Parts: sequence; structure tokens; C-alpha cells
Amino acid sequence: MAAAPSSRPFEYLERLPGTVFFKLYQQPSTALAIFRRMLPDLAKCFVMALLYLKDPLPAADLEVWVKSESLKERDHALSILGRLNILSNTVTSNNVRAYMVTNPFAASLRQALTGAEQTQSFGVLSHAPGDAAVSIADLDEYARRQWEGLLGFMVGTSGLGIREVSLSMGVKQLLQAGSLVEIKGTRVDITQDGFAFVLQDVSTQVWHILVLYVESATAMNMDSVEVLSFIFLLSSLELGKSYEKKHLTSTQLHTLTDLADFGIVYQESPDSTRFYPTRLATTLTSDSNALNNPISGSLSGPTGDPSNKAGTGFIIIETNYRLYAYTSSPLQISLIALFTTLKYRFPNLITGKITRQSVRRAVEMGITADQIISYLSTHAHSQMRKHNASRSTSNQAGVPGAILPPTVVDQIRLWQLERDRVKATAGFLFKDFASLAEYEAPCRYAEEIGVLVWKSDRKRMFFVTRHEQVAAFLRSRK
Amino acid sequence: MNTIDATEHYETGGSERPPSLLTIIIDTNPHAWALLNASLPLSTAIANILVFLNAHLACNYANEVAVVASHTHKATWLYPVAHHPSPSSSSSHNRDPDGDTPMPPSTNSTSHPPINKYRPFREVEEQVTSTLHSLMSPDSTTPASLTSTTSTMMAGALTLALSHINRRTLSWDEAQGDPALTSTTNPPTSTSTSSTSTTQRPQSGLNSRILILSTTSSTSAANQYIPIMNAIFACQRLCIPIDVCKLSGDAVFLQQASDATKGIYMALDEPRGLLQSLMMAFLPDQRSRRHLVLPTRVDVDFRAACFCHRRVVDVGWVCSVCLSIFCEPLDVAGGQACLTCGSRLEGGELAVKPAVVARKRIKKKKARLNGPSVGGTPMSSTPTPGP
Repeated sequence: MAAAPSSRPFEYLERLPGTVFFKLYQQPSTALAIFRRMLPDLAKCFVMALLYLKDPLPAADLEVWVKSESLKERDHALSILGRLNILSNTVTSNNVRAYMVTNPFAASLRQALTGAEQTQSFGVLSHAPGDAAVSIADLDEYARRQWEGLLGFMVGTSGLGIREVSLSMGVKQLLQAGSLVEIKGTRVDITQDGFAFVLQDVSTQVWHILVLYVESATAMNMDSVEVLSFIFLLSSLELGKSYEKKHLTSTQLHTLTDLADFGIVYQESPDSTRFYPTRLATTLTSDSNALNNPISGSLSGPTGDPSNKAGTGFIIIETNYRLYAYTSSPLQISLIALFTTLKYRFPNLITGKITRQSVRRAVEMGITADQIISYLSTHAHSQMRKHNASRSTSNQAGVPGAILPPTVVDQIRLWQLERDRVKATAGFLFKDFASLAEYEAPCRYAEEIGVLVWKSDRKRMFFVTRHEQVAAFLRSRK
Repeated sequence: MNTIDATEHYETGGSERPPSLLTIIIDTNPHAWALLNASLPLSTAIANILVFLNAHLACNYANEVAVVASHTHKATWLYPVAHHPSPSSSSSHNRDPDGDTPMPPSTNSTSHPPINKYRPFREVEEQVTSTLHSLMSPDSTTPASLTSTTSTMMAGALTLALSHINRRTLSWDEAQGDPALTSTTNPPTSTSTSSTSTTQRPQSGLNSRILILSTTSSTSAANQYIPIMNAIFACQRLCIPIDVCKLSGDAVFLQQASDATKGIYMALDEPRGLLQSLMMAFLPDQRSRRHLVLPTRVDVDFRAACFCHRRVVDVGWVCSVCLSIFCEPLDVAGGQACLTCGSRLEGGELAVKPAVVARKRIKKKKARLNGPSVGGTPMSSTPTPGP
């Protein structure tokens, strides 16, 4: 449950100042999206329980509501709510500490739940007769083509005969600004961050790009808050419907054109009066789990192979580290080749083996074992899911089925650990104490406050991660 | 080295949040709502329920809802219903003539809704109100059918809900290729294992739960005792909690339902606070409930209804073969055979009034008293050097 918020958009939001939140939460769609996407389960319960209360809820009541063994989850939920400026501390009339949902957020979420008269926060459906509506399959195809083009550009498969997708200058600049690629003339070199990026699942990738986009919005003379709330608006639209453009502001129109380059929205031409959100947009606020099936299946599967659309993945790994991938997409092949020694290539299948060398090579390039494992498990063949699921339930009922063979997972981690023998910790060394007594007291104090990393009684030295409190302690003793 | 334990991998697999399916059974018995009209009219209650449904949908992208109406003579779906079959278009004609229960959202369900709203929310809302309208219209709720009975079809509604949950679970598992498929087909057999698996099963598969908004006192529905109890046991096996929010009347069997399935039972003293209690007590799903202190009932009414006359009884006769409950001895026809299974029951003791036998209890106590002393004897029997 602690793993709930997908970290990147959350980290970005957390850094924003309070006034930005105030502006953001004016829109019901934003409130709804943040509520759904960023909060852990318990926090959602708190918000909903407090939403329709007239008076603030005394903190003691809230504490009684949560079981005593779940204190950690409660504090985690409360701290996230606090950091997102959703819950605030107040006092009730008789001076009891209490919680309440902050106002623009509460009002907007209530509006989202009950409907509101005046806002266009959830988009305005286009009823223009116009030409034939774009089908969902077309939208998926468009989104897939654009997104794969983007990834292909980064990995450098464009030369391998993949259909060339015209990436606009803005997209390339954005990728460079996010230090995902380095562009030297016509050469495109992927960075370590870029490797990490391409191995993530689609929803994380989309968020990553969107956060980069919002960060760069100010440089393009756009209000980043407006861009952000527009993205949240897009996430609440319905797939396969077209929406009016005439209600949008100029910033939003500009954003729309840029997002069309990523395949997040579709418009027939930049001048058309309506736009379609694609699946990349409408699943922005879903969990990765729910998103897995339709889009990444169609995104990662072999291009133009309709039989694969139903299944989510295409990779089979055996316990002997052999890997079979049913794909002919150059993008996927080059991704798999990052950490696998490929052996054979057939029209619709490649085989290879995960070896110590291949994993070490990947780790040297900056790919982590976790990234490899999560890539493999998101793209695991449905046959693997079924097989391992039935096996794990027959063994021990409680553990949810591990998709990959545990031995492979462990070994990949071990191979990475071989390279991480030294761990660096930034910190401060205290030394040259005159006497043992003088050394012992601050050392014990550092241990108590939990900043001590290492100490040596013989050399009268100790090493801490933070020095302020220890220094203050030393001063206070003089 | 601890970090490379494979268990860490299992955890990441479990952190993906499976969606949950909330099935609400609304008791739409007009008799009961007429009594409640002063404090909580049906239209207000429905408006509150709709907000609650939206809140549930808001919690997760893939969350689902289903609404069943338990009416006087039938149980019927309010949401989801098949996409606009031809009879519903004719029933929308009837919407105007029956003006007795005005529902705020339905007035807006013209061709161009002015209210700007998240689309899934609006779809649920429009469908629930329109189907409820057609249910309450004089076509389907005739005065004759109202006078014939005052009870509600709770058993039918529970069965509908269960079959829907089953269908959704299967299709969800199929879409995911997930382990839950196998675990639902062979559910835990004994209650002791089911209690352990309630904490584990929600990790995978679709989380389902049922919420009953009860208004009719179910002692009058004692004739549905057997189907209701069967539905409850089915829920218990499938680890589907039945939450009960009681607005009026006394719900004997529903207390047992929430008790047996580890659901929440709440009797609202003040029906006007419906929305707040729904939001606070009934919104958390199974995973959040592990962290929360839940309102439950301590004094559960465990009375049963007899199989012969559908009377609610405290003490009765039980067939030793099939455990059927009877309110009076069976020697009426001189046959002394169980009415359910036909077993011939021996002895004239059936005629004796049932009573709680005190003797047995004492025996048990004695046995318990003997326990420690038995355990102590070998200790003392071992030859130990005395002081």
C-alpha cells in the first residue's frame, strides 16, 4: 500500500508551492485525478470520510478509527495528504486538534462527485456532425505508432527499417532537456536515464514525459499550472469520443498540439475544431495494473499482428535462463538485446539466454536489475502468468503468483550485486577527540538520533550522515 | 544480501491494486419507504447513494458498481442494464405521467445534459434513475401487487448480486490471466481457513463486496429464510463481505449475514445522516478495512426461522440428519419423519419440549477442570527427591 503513488508525478507535485496547489485544485477534474492517482488507500478513506463533514474531525477520533497495528500506514497516509495540501490541521471550537480537508480541494472533489453547473472541467463533447468519427482502434494505432516512434528514436532503431515517424523538433528538444538522449548532430545517443526510461511500463513513461513537459512549460512562456490541470482534464475524458476545442485557452491549445506529437491526443489537423483523447490520455489516472492489458499489449506487441492484441505479453523465460520473445518489432528486440545474449531470430520469435555477461553489460550501461525484472514481468507471456499462477497457488495459497521464475529473478539481482560491492554514503567524519570521554558522548548521541554510520573506538572517530544536531550537541557541552 | 530475497518480488506483485466491485442492494419496498418519508424520502436517499457510488468509482480507475433493487415482488437490476432495449424506451414515456417522486438528476437527462460531469459518474446516475423510475411506474408496481405483500425480495436480490459478482470475477481473471481464477474455483472449505484467506485473497483478483440498504423488517420475510441463508453461506465461502446499513425495521437474518461474512452492520438512528455514514463506514474496501476499526454489532440476533411454518424461533427441534429446523414436534401424522429429508427419527423424545440441558455444561466444565490436573499428574508422578 505504501507503493501506491507512482513516484515521479508525485515528486513533482510535492515540490510545488502551496499557492500552486490552490490554483490547481480549482478544477474538479484535477482534484479527482489527484485523489485517484496519488493517494494510498487509507488516505482515500480519510478524505472521503471528512469530505461531507461540516466540522473538522478531531485528531483523536481519527486515531481511534485506525487499528493500533496500522500506525505506520496511518502516518504515511496523513503525511502524503499533508504534503499534497489536501488535509490541514486546525482546531475545533473547543481547542482540540483536528483535521479537515482544505477548501479548494474539498469543494472541487464534491463538485466532481455531484456535478457542477458552470465548469468545463470534464471537457465538452463535440456534437459537430462532421466527418465520420475516429474509431477506438484507429486511436490505439495512432497512439502506438507515435509512442513507439518516440521510443525508437531514443533507442536508435529508426535505421533498422521501422516505419519512420516524424518527431517534431519540440519532442526531440524535450527528450534532450530531460537528459534522456544526447543529440550530437544527427547522431542520437541514449543516456543512462534513457535506458531506465525505455524499460519502464508505458504509464510511467507517459508520466515521465508529461512531467518533463510541464517543467519546460515555463520556458515556452506557458503557465505550468494551466498545463498541468489540462493534463488532468485529459485524463478524465472518454476514449472514442471527440471533444470541442473552442472552450480551450490558447495555452491549452498549444499544449494540445504538443501532446498530439506524443500520441496522447489525436486531432485530424492542428486547425480542426475537435480532438480525441487516446488511450494514453484516458488511462493516465489508472493504476499500472489496469493499464497493462489494452495499451501496452498493443504497444509492445509485434506491429500489425492482430492475434497478439489480446494477450498482454510475449516473453517466456525458463528456469534455465533461456528467453523466448514472440516479437518482430525492432524496438522490442533491441530492448531485449540490452540484457540478453541473443541466439536465433525467426520471423516472429527471437531466442536468447540471460547470462552473467549480458546482465553485467546491462548494469554497466546503467540499467538496474529491478528495471530488467519489471520489464520482463510486465511483458511476460500470458501462458507464463497462467502457469506460474496455478503453481504458486497450489504451493502456498497466500503469496500472489510470481510471474517470473524466482531463481531467475534472484540471479539477476545477484549479478547486479556483484558489481555493487562498495556503497558510498555522503556524510561527515568527526575525529581528533582529545579523550575517550569526549568522544563517547557525541558518539552515543549520534547513535541515538540515528545518524551514525560507522565508528571506531580505537581511533576515536565516527561518521554521521547529518552533522547539524551533533555539532549543536558538541557546542552545548562546552 | 537480505535485499535479494525473492519475497521482495512477491510484494511488488501485490502492490498493484486490484479494482473492487461494489454491489448495492437497495430495498425499494414502497411500504417501508412510506414510513421513512418524513425523515428520509426515497429521492434523497437515492441522491445520497449516487454520490456514494461516485465516490467508490473515484477511488480507482477500474472500480465497478452494480445496483440491485429488492422490490416487493421481484428483484431487479438498476445498474448495469443492457443497453437501451426497446421496452426501456417505451418506459421512458411513462416518466412524465408519474410525477410523484421527482428525482433531480432525471430532469437533466434530456438530450443535452448541462451538468458537466465525469462521464462514468453520469452514466451510472442516469441509468439508475431511469430504471428506478420505470420500476416505480404504475406499470410494474401495481396497487394490487403492493397490497398482496409487504415484504421484500431480499433473497432474490442477493442471488442476483452473487451471480453478477461471479461473472465479473471470472471475466476479470480471464482478462488478467491471474491466479485468482484457480483460487475461486476451489474456495476454502472450512470456516477456519476462510478466515485466514480473507486477509490474503484480496491481494489478487477482483475484490467484491455487497452492501444492503435495508428498510423492511425481515421477520416478515421469514419465508425466504432458507434462500437467504444459502446466499449468506455462499458469500462466506467466496469471502464476500455483506455490509448492512439498516434504515428502519429489524433485520434479523441480515445481522447474521454481516456477522458470518465479517461485514459491517450499522443501524442508522438518524437516517438523514445517510451519506456521511455511507462515506465513513461503508466506503473503505477490504484492503483498507484491514487498517480500520470497523463498526460491528456485538449482540447478533442468531434466531432462525423454522422450515415448516417459517416462524422465527429461539428454540426449536432440529433434525439430526439434515439439520432442518422445526418449530414443533413432527409426530403429527404419527410418522415422525423429517419433512425435509424424510429420515425416520427414533424415540418419543421428540415430543418432549426442548430445553437447554444444564447437565451437559457442568460436564464440560468438569472436563476442563480435569485438563490441567491431567497434565500435572505425570509431573508429580515422576519420582522427585522430596524436600
